[in-house]
Amino acid sequence: MDITPTYNEQELIAALKTKDEQSYSYLYDNYSGALYSIIKQIVLDGELANDVLQEVFINIWRKIESYDATKGRLFTWMLNIARNASIDTIRSKSFQNSQKNQELSNNVNVNSSISNQTILPDIDNIGLRKTLETLKGEHRILIELAYFKGYTHEEIAKIEGIPLGTVKTRIRNALLQLREYLK
Amino acid sequence: MNVKEYISSGIIESYVLGLASPEERVEFERMCDSYPEIREARDAFELSFEKNALSNAIEPPAHLKNEIFAKLHSEGNNKQTDNSYKKENVVAPVVAMGWLRYVAAASIVLLITSTLLNYYFFTQYKEYSAKYDQLVQNQTQMASANQTLQTKLQDYESALSMIKDPAMAVVKMPSIPKGPNPNSLTTVYWDTKSKDVYLMVNNLPQPTSDKQYQLWALVDGKPVDAGVFDVSKDSLSFVKMKNIPRAQAFAITLEKKGGSPTPDMSALYVLGKVS
Repeated sequence: MDITPTYNEQELIAALKTKDEQSYSYLYDNYSGALYSIIKQIVLDGELANDVLQEVFINIWRKIESYDATKGRLFTWMLNIARNASIDTIRSKSFQNSQKNQELSNNVNVNSSISNQTILPDIDNIGLRKTLETLKGEHRILIELAYFKGYTHEEIAKIEGIPLGTVKTRIRNALLQLREYLK
Repeated sequence: MNVKEYISSGIIESYVLGLASPEERVEFERMCDSYPEIREARDAFELSFEKNALSNAIEPPAHLKNEIFAKLHSEGNNKQTDNSYKKENVVAPVVAMGWLRYVAAASIVLLITSTLLNYYFFTQYKEYSAKYDQLVQNQTQMASANQTLQTKLQDYESALSMIKDPAMAVVKMPSIPKGPNPNSLTTVYWDTKSKDVYLMVNNLPQPTSDKQYQLWALVDGKPVDAGVFDVSKDSLSFVKMKNIPRAQAFAITLEKKGGSPTPDMSALYVLGKVS
């Protein structure tokens, strides 16, 4: 019977960099849920979320050498890998096509995918999305577009039809509210 | 820039959540190196965000861990060989899995089917190839048997035409009284026009390997060499001997291999007079 070791962050990073499988097992047991949660909040589909989580762990394994602890915590680094992979997935052609088919078959005229997501209350009630509920509507949409859809400030300005300066200010205010909430 | 202002500008959150532009990221990292308090504020936000994320964790399906670790395990085995190549291919395959999965499944089914068909056709091919070889061999055997028969037939035909020829003188040569083999019999066919001599051995014992029979023509009481010959098993074959313009009789003696200038009369087998 293996005794699963516990690691502090430095020990864990060192073990991960040696590609020690036990340390990846520990990583998975402790962080896969948090990463899976973020992935699900972005891709909104269980099957896809499984694929993305697999991709994320493979990427962590492959890219661990490039992780630099001076630039942030390990979890922050992994979370950004998860977020980027999720956004890549929802932007991929096959995903877009499947979304189109869904919309057609449901015969629902959905202009904004944001209103589409309110159909999924379980997703709305987890993690960052739950936090977003506390934000004002105008802030909420911008964080939604920036964080969960991965749009740049310029793209958001175009989509929402508001000046770039306003986008930046609103996002900054939203982020500061978020910080207060998380404290 | 005022450090406190910078900290509360939203850049920390923007950086941690991955919303900062590349220029903002570079600047922020430089600021972190220069001002420990910025770094501390970043750490604090990261930690609170991490705690929030962990408390909102959703357990992935149980089977996923084994699948992922099987992948990682094979990654680990491959990493020395082509790491750089793999990095290029990180995103696309996983993203496209939804429909690629069916394409992959279909292609595996096709591959298996094709392999089975290949095996089946190869077996068939081998079987027919063997059969074909056998047929070719049989055909070759039959052709050579046919040729042998043709040659024999030609021999018989020419023998027959020779016997039928009215210009042909036939000299029967039975065993001399008290000869070495009383059953001996040979026949000389002597073409009276061309003076060619053909010998047919009806019956002569097979000589030992150092000896050969020799035909003699008796011309005015003197023996003239008409050539040596071997005893063939095929009794109908004619042996063409030397051309003899004139002779009263023919005789055969057993001589040393290659023949003798004069006959050994003690080994005289057969004798026949020209009628």
